[in-house]
Amino acid sequence: MTTAAAATDSPTPVAPDITENNLQPFFVLHQASSQKSNKKSSRTAKTRRRIDLSPSLTKSVENLEVEKADEGVDHGYVNKRMEAFESVWSKMESTIKDVLRNLNIGVFNEIQRWVHESFNTIKSFGTPSFPEATQPFPVVKDATSKQVFTGLVLTKNMEFVDDLLTFEELGLHLKSQGYHVANLSSLDFSVKNGIGGCLRSLLRQLVMVTLDAHDISVLATWYREQGNCNNPVVIIIDDLERCCGKVLSDFIIMLSEWVFKIPVILIMGVATTLDALRNTLPSNVLHHLCPCKFILGSPSERMDAIVKAVLVKQCSGFRIGHKVAVFMRNYFVSQDGTITSFIRALKIACAQHFSMEPLSFILLRFLLEEDSQVLQGENYGLPPEVLLERAFDLPSYRNKIAERNFDTLFHGLSELKKLQNQWSTVLLCMHEAGKCDKIQLLDLFCEALDPESGILRVSDTRKGLQKDSTVSPSNKDMHKKYASLQKGGFICQAIRKVRDLPAMQLCTLLKGWEKHTVDIPEIHDKVKELLSLVKFEDSKSLKRDLIEMSKRPASWSHLNLEKDSKAASEKAARLAEFMVGKYMQPLECIAFHEVVCFKNVDKLQAALIGDPRRRIQVDLLEFHNIIQCSCCRRHGNTLLPSMHDSSIMHTLAQEHGDLINLHDWYQSFKMVILSSSDKGKHRLKHSPSPKKRKVTTEPAKLSEAAIQARFCKAVTELQITGIIRMPSKRRPDYAQRVVLGL
Amino acid sequence: MMDINNGDEEEFEFSRNYFLAKESSGKKSTRKISDIHLVDEQELRAAVAKIEPKHEKETIALVNSYKKLYPRWVFELRCGFGLLMYGFGSKKALIESFASTALAEYPVVVINGYLQSINLKQVMITLAEVWWDQLKTRQRTSSRILQKVQQPFNSRSVDDLLAFLDKSEAEENDSFICVVIHNIDGPGLRDSESQQYLARIASCSNIRTIATVDHVNAPLLWDKKMVHTQFNWYWHHVPTYAPYKVEGIFFPLILAHSNTSQSAKTAAIVLQSLTPNAQSVFKILAEYQRSHPEEEGMPFDNLYTISRERFLVSSQVTLNSHLTEFKDHELVKTRRRSDGQDCLYIPLTNDSLEKLLSEINQ
Repeated sequence: MTTAAAATDSPTPVAPDITENNLQPFFVLHQASSQKSNKKSSRTAKTRRRIDLSPSLTKSVENLEVEKADEGVDHGYVNKRMEAFESVWSKMESTIKDVLRNLNIGVFNEIQRWVHESFNTIKSFGTPSFPEATQPFPVVKDATSKQVFTGLVLTKNMEFVDDLLTFEELGLHLKSQGYHVANLSSLDFSVKNGIGGCLRSLLRQLVMVTLDAHDISVLATWYREQGNCNNPVVIIIDDLERCCGKVLSDFIIMLSEWVFKIPVILIMGVATTLDALRNTLPSNVLHHLCPCKFILGSPSERMDAIVKAVLVKQCSGFRIGHKVAVFMRNYFVSQDGTITSFIRALKIACAQHFSMEPLSFILLRFLLEEDSQVLQGENYGLPPEVLLERAFDLPSYRNKIAERNFDTLFHGLSELKKLQNQWSTVLLCMHEAGKCDKIQLLDLFCEALDPESGILRVSDTRKGLQKDSTVSPSNKDMHKKYASLQKGGFICQAIRKVRDLPAMQLCTLLKGWEKHTVDIPEIHDKVKELLSLVKFEDSKSLKRDLIEMSKRPASWSHLNLEKDSKAASEKAARLAEFMVGKYMQPLECIAFHEVVCFKNVDKLQAALIGDPRRRIQVDLLEFHNIIQCSCCRRHGNTLLPSMHDSSIMHTLAQEHGDLINLHDWYQSFKMVILSSSDKGKHRLKHSPSPKKRKVTTEPAKLSEAAIQARFCKAVTELQITGIIRMPSKRRPDYAQRVVLGL
Repeated sequence: MMDINNGDEEEFEFSRNYFLAKESSGKKSTRKISDIHLVDEQELRAAVAKIEPKHEKETIALVNSYKKLYPRWVFELRCGFGLLMYGFGSKKALIESFASTALAEYPVVVINGYLQSINLKQVMITLAEVWWDQLKTRQRTSSRILQKVQQPFNSRSVDDLLAFLDKSEAEENDSFICVVIHNIDGPGLRDSESQQYLARIASCSNIRTIATVDHVNAPLLWDKKMVHTQFNWYWHHVPTYAPYKVEGIFFPLILAHSNTSQSAKTAAIVLQSLTPNAQSVFKILAEYQRSHPEEEGMPFDNLYTISRERFLVSSQVTLNSHLTEFKDHELVKTRRRSDGQDCLYIPLTNDSLEKLLSEINQ
């Protein structure tokens, strides 16, 4: 690492041998240096740094920024954050895996039962005799015993990438039952490799051999020999739609011929509908299949479960801010659409948090261990006074006046944790309420994070509380608060839903709330109170129903009943409003939230979605901004000869349609780079630096060859970036513009 | 590269109409590139080699400004991401400087994707050998795994090599090989099979990838599985404005390559070395082609009749010997016409042909 800093001084450290390596297809740049001890030796560097840092307390924020970057060089400190990232992310990752597994476990068990039954059916056709079993060709039997049991798993998701893990897990699940499982993907069913490709993969996974000759009789022998006969062979194919139909047909026909000797059961993932099977396979293959249908949970169910487990509940302590959440939701809903990419975005956010936020390491130790001593220990590679300074300098705390010591920090963080738990609880309650209206947890989550509406919510409650110190709020205040809730927002919608709930559903809802609110006694009691009321009414209504049965009509009691239940749901709705107002304080309104919360949406977006198509063009069109040179500041739309050649060419190309006449392009390029001879002299007066003088006087003696060379080079560069194509044979005088517009 | 450039002309026409509707294409110039006084190719190449970089000071400052990001990049690699660098300018020097300074602790293997052909199986063998060395130096783990590996790597299958690179060891997970891929969108790697192999390499637990792309449409090389689960890209926008020196080696210079004046010139040189009769036969063919631009070529019998009328040849045998000479120098080619008859044509555009005729008539 220290070498990195040293390298800054020399402009481009290129080893002489690298030039030879340029024409090697590949080469080993270097082996691992034996200085693994680097990390340890940095301990000494750390002490030195500590001395350096102490006067920095007086430095301006700008300097601090520089230092922050600089500090990244310190190994011990980086390793602490790396450690924190690893532990936080592994926690999140395993939580996600568990959530998905739990969602699928029902279907997995169903599949497993079906595999078991199918295997019994195959066995009931009889077992091959010894000579039959040992001959290297299939046994011919009647049509029924040539059927291949096929499980079709409807993924309800066009994005097969989200189900890769599902099928992997299914494989593991079935393996744990002792079945022989092989996972194949559409890549194994390619036209190029033909049936050999899938057989090779199959043999590799089951028999654990890699043979040059791919023959299914090897599999038959293996199945007989190893005492494997007590369990079926299950072949899982991820994505039916992406397989080559021809190869898959051949494969199925082959399996059907051998199914008597090797009891194979197929499981195929289907992203669209069952029609896909008919579209992929010819009918003579279809009647070899004995299909059975299974359905996985929908992507939105999965999304809700993941958001709930990872973002709403305290899973790892890591949080995302409102803007980040909104970005991730929009990216999921309208751009990428895969849960996989959502999870990846979360991982990038997490990595960025730990790589950029100096205090992020506190997250791990403090939030999980709940011990003020943890903070004070010097085990972060950061001296305590710097840590404090940083913490109290966080924007969320800057304006608060309190004694700046570890106790304050500790209390601040405890408070943060407490408020977060309350926030989660209320959000879960709202989700419970919104469920019957099909409100997505992700939407609720984003809305609840919004710091602006949050401030409104909270301040209103405060006002309410001042007037009416008894916690049960008066009707008037409630109405005011209701107005402050985002009109048409999801939370508002959920509360409205509560108001209209019939008694039975209200009861289930309250039971749900009772479970969620255990940690907030104030609300918990209220919920219980309401619940007893509803239950009481419930039993009352039951009795009434019985009575009504005997002496009908009794419309008055019916009316009364309705009114009662209405009153109960009204109370529940008010309670919901109260909860939201008082306990749903958005993270970004709480002091020290920067420690746990990632907010830099721009950085996340840049890392997640590279946009080469636009950015490379902008690089060319606005290069003077990136390069920060004084000579090329554009005056209006004039092109200056000092600009980068490719930049000039690209800008000139904008004036053409999709075809660029090379002759014209060349002439205008020539004009631009020669234009300086008079303008250059003019500019010379106020740009006395020797470099600029060189640039401006040079064009006068530019030879035709030099101009043509620069033109050629610029064209090549634009070609490498894919912005233009070389002239085609049909139009030798025109280059083609491939990228039109940003 | 070539198949992207030359192929699917029709498709291009189709998309072209869409974009043209949005753009005001306005006047359309019909000027010829041959109107430029082109310098000799050798002179041109010499001039290309002598081009002086612009804004040297600023670009160096720009590249140096990326150096303070190195620790972050290492952090991201350690988190398990693959780094994908993009932005205008060659990023080769930048990435190699990053690899040789900040990644000194890890073995680094470089793939030059801008070259025409790269054997990825060989790359995998090298990676396995490097990883093997790495394991050997860490003696703690060696004893266990050493025994399992008997076969030399170069006789192993791709699956075995990848499985070896993917084998995880619980003891130390902060140890990996860095694979630097210059131009993962380069001509030698642009096919889907190569990309699949690269994705499988990148997804191995002991591999981290640092790749660069220059093409604006590079993301189209990958599907969602590759992007999200295998490469696991972390994008970085790092324009350098450095010249594409090595990357551009294999690109033809637009003003030097097979354009009209150049091919006419070479054809003229060949023709002038032939007998006057042979030249005259060629002229007949050339005149015919100019006056019948829509036809696919001149039927052999036709050429024979005219040549005989003008006393240029006495028999089909002599004409054939002339034609063989032409064909050997690729001045004339044959193709089958739509009516099934073989015919002769000169593989030059009308402009070049005109130039050529004027040159041999001098």
